[in-house]
Amino acid sequence: MHWIARAWIAAIAIVFVSAPCAGAQGPKIAQVKKTSGQVTIVREGGNVAAKVGDFLYEKDVIQTGADGAIGITFTDNTVMSTGPNSEVSLEEYRFDSSNFNGAMLTDMRKGTLTMVSGDIARSTPGAMKVKTPTAILGVRGTRFAVQVEGER
Amino acid sequence: MHRIILALTLLLTLSACASRQALFTVLPNPDGSAGAVTVDDGQKSVVLDKPYAASEIVKGSAQPVAMDDAQVQQIFGSALAARPILPSHFRLYFNNDTDVMTPDSERLYKSVFDDIKQRPVYEVEVVGHTDTTGELKHNQELSLTRAGSIREKLIHDGLDPKSISIAGRGPLDLRVKTGDNVPEQLNRRVEITVR
Repeated sequence: MHWIARAWIAAIAIVFVSAPCAGAQGPKIAQVKKTSGQVTIVREGGNVAAKVGDFLYEKDVIQTGADGAIGITFTDNTVMSTGPNSEVSLEEYRFDSSNFNGAMLTDMRKGTLTMVSGDIARSTPGAMKVKTPTAILGVRGTRFAVQVEGER
Repeated sequence: MHRIILALTLLLTLSACASRQALFTVLPNPDGSAGAVTVDDGQKSVVLDKPYAASEIVKGSAQPVAMDDAQVQQIFGSALAARPILPSHFRLYFNNDTDVMTPDSERLYKSVFDDIKQRPVYEVEVVGHTDTTGELKHNQELSLTRAGSIREKLIHDGLDPKSISIAGRGPLDLRVKTGDNVPEQLNRRVEITVR
């Protein structure tokens, strides 16, 4: 094969291999700062065991085992942590660091969650919410905790 | 006998229904104050705005419930233990129309590294600002130059370039509100957030 043809095939292969990963995930919204026990990040394209330093993306779902716990910090400086037997979806997240505008919806399906709110809640009243199966929490600030009982 | 079973079943069903579906509580700030949250159960919205003010959902309805530190530790202890170190903020000041820090700020700059040492992983945001003297375009460039010079210094002093992001806001986000063309030391600054 001519070297130019080979180079083209290589270039096209690179585009096809790299594009789906970059396109599907969108911007980084948070970083894992602490973990213990079993913690899984459920996302399109495969589940991963959460490690300190990993980045999280909109729509990621955090699942903790009976011994699991995780702490993450969002790009707006909101801090969130989750205890054992929990499931939390990072349902919606938008943040513009140039004017601090944004919106954040966390879907708390079961378990325990604590938060210290950051720039989104401070700059845009009503923009930060935690949804549970039975009620919706609106965050004015700053420190709070939510427990959702799982199926019995 | 049937009646007893029926009564027992009814009692069990009732007590199962009466169990807590969700719990929301405000936690105190380190200074003892508290923020506020609202809880909306679809019928009504309640405001919780004191330390340990709490609401539980029973049969889909929000009702007040007593909460204290001991109960919070029992229910949320593992989650609280997993809470990351909170983000830290540093404000560095500059001499007029330069990217040279004031002596006090040089000392504060060094404490950024003490903060980072406590963190297993870190991200650093550097945002430059100016006062309102001079042209807007010049100031936007100057604010970015200030942020860039701090970024270079942080990298020179050992931080990972991949962990640092920078931005320049010119005179658009004044710390002290002034009119146009007012020299103001407190506005000539770089704000560093470590998280």
